[in-house]
Amino acid sequence: MSQATLLTTKDLSKHFDGVMAVNLVNLEVTDQEVHSIIGPNGAGKTTLINVITGLLAASEGSVTYQGQDITTKPVHERVRLGICRTFQITSIFMGLTVYENVRIAAQSHLGGSLRIMSPRGGLKRVNAKTEQILERVGLTHVAGRQAELLAHGDQRVLEVAISLASEPQVLLLDEPAAGMSPAETDQMSELIAALGTEMAVLLVEHDMEVVMAISQRITVLHQGGVIARGTPEEIASDQQVREAYLGGDDWAVLTA
Amino acid sequence: MNSVETQAPGGVIIKTVTGSLTGKLIMLAVFVILAILPFVLPDKFWIRQVNQIMIYALLAMSLDVLLGYTGLLSFMHNAYLGIGAYITGLFLIHVAPESLWLAMAVGAVCTTLIALPVGWVQVRTGGLAFALLTLAFGMMFYTVAWKWYDVTGGDDGLMGLPQPDITLFGLKLASSGDSTAMYMFTLAILVMCFLFTWRVIHSPLGAVLEAIRENEQRAAFVGINVRAYKLIGWMLACGLAGIAGSVYILFRGYTGPGVMGAFEGAGVLMMVLLGGMGTLWGPLIGAAIFIIMKDQLSSFTEDWEIFVGIIVILLVLFLPRGVAGLPDLFRRGKAE
Ligand SMILES: Nc1ncnc2c1ncn2[C@@H]1O[C@H](COP(=O)(O)OP(=O)(O)O)[C@@H](O)[C@H]1O
Ligand SMILES: [Mg+2]
Repeated sequence: MSQATLLTTKDLSKHFDGVMAVNLVNLEVTDQEVHSIIGPNGAGKTTLINVITGLLAASEGSVTYQGQDITTKPVHERVRLGICRTFQITSIFMGLTVYENVRIAAQSHLGGSLRIMSPRGGLKRVNAKTEQILERVGLTHVAGRQAELLAHGDQRVLEVAISLASEPQVLLLDEPAAGMSPAETDQMSELIAALGTEMAVLLVEHDMEVVMAISQRITVLHQGGVIARGTPEEIASDQQVREAYLGGDDWAVLTA
Repeated sequence: MNSVETQAPGGVIIKTVTGSLTGKLIMLAVFVILAILPFVLPDKFWIRQVNQIMIYALLAMSLDVLLGYTGLLSFMHNAYLGIGAYITGLFLIHVAPESLWLAMAVGAVCTTLIALPVGWVQVRTGGLAFALLTLAFGMMFYTVAWKWYDVTGGDDGLMGLPQPDITLFGLKLASSGDSTAMYMFTLAILVMCFLFTWRVIHSPLGAVLEAIRENEQRAAFVGINVRAYKLIGWMLACGLAGIAGSVYILFRGYTGPGVMGAFEGAGVLMMVLLGGMGTLWGPLIGAAIFIIMKDQLSSFTEDWEIFVGIIVILLVLFLPRGVAGLPDLFRRGKAE
């Protein structure tokens, strides 16, 4: 059983006047796998996602997706190709309802944005997709609520729902469980694990328990560079990782 | 037509003033009253006054497409009214003095085409830079109208405009020189443009524009080509402003560069803010308030701008969502 490599980075780097936020990173993202990126604060995890998704231009190196060089493609074209993401700081349409948040993503993916003579709610496939996703993530009961009025945890879930509406092949999640309660974190990690059987998931997460439980592969980033990669078991016993994390609370979980 | 979109699953119904039946009935009533008005108003002065309000209402509504729905600030939207006016005027003077509809179409299409490269440049920037570019381009257009004497008549403006007949399917209805006929013509154009814009804003395209307004970054990350859709919104808004310009020059029989000035542009922005942006109908009311206020005050004092300024400041402070925000105040009052 060999799974397809969907996305690779080659010597990918991002420098901010002198700061090597991401430094010569080589990464393979495989279909139907949860691949976690871990590393201390400032390691360059978010920057790596920003460069892969096109929010930031790479300083050096390349990003290849299904054999195609996408290093300089604009954000929206990468999304169309199937590379979607969530943000560390929630990024949703605060003034719109939960339903509208997901619908605009579904509409953008399925088409119909230029049908100026039909009502917004008139695109049947878009509505069906929207309802299906809300059902899946468990937000149907708040579909009519303005996103701004949702609890923080639900806003995080909504952002994942928005990303799913684009039917991603590679989904990049930047600390999706940040600020969530333990119960919400459990639900989120269950959802991510399930998504990992359908698409490639690149997960950045601080909660080591979650990372260890649902990842098939882990890459450890430290000061912009990859210092270790392997299965959760391999990473847990890695000496270099131990040193990178020295003094951090996370380590207790890793070795527990 | 909005019942589908306001009924979200889960039984939650989102009520908006404009989406509700009451809102539609009020709009209908307003348009009916406007249609009766010229026959009950005491004199031509008032007919022309309301006519002018309707032209600026159309302009303010077109600016709302940008400001309220796409989240783009245009400081000099009146520049595109001016362009539409000059082009329509020039067409009537030099090409076809009798073809009212053709002149209108040429005005709207050319305004939109001129807006295309401008918008193309503008959407490559964001936020404040976009707003500053609208100012820069607006000033440029103003200067062209003011200095290109051979074509525009410079400071004197475009004069000697023919007054074509208002026709419908080849049938002569009236002369555009007749103030009641011009009034009804303006009202018809306003209603058509309003219904068209309403339709577009409440279509999937409007949802895209709103998404850009709400969160440009997220919009890009759901696969929206933000620049392309901003450009669509920009051209729609400029095309509508161009139509307002065509009606403007037919109404006045003249246009000068003054109508394209920066001070006028600020006035249009105030109309939208006073009426309430993001509603389409709010700016119509805002235009009426602004023009009546300006006229009343300027008959009392030469320094009317100061008082307009003060009133706008008070309204912005105490009614931040404009007149359109009033029903919310009442609704909140009821709920508490
Ligand atoms: N936009 C930026 N401008 C300058 N420096 C940045 C920017 N974004 C991130 N950095 C720097 O890059 C490094 C990596 O940051 P980040 O990718 O956010 O780390 P992580 O997500 O792993 O916590 C940090 O030193 C940070 O200060
Ligand atoms: Mg981060």
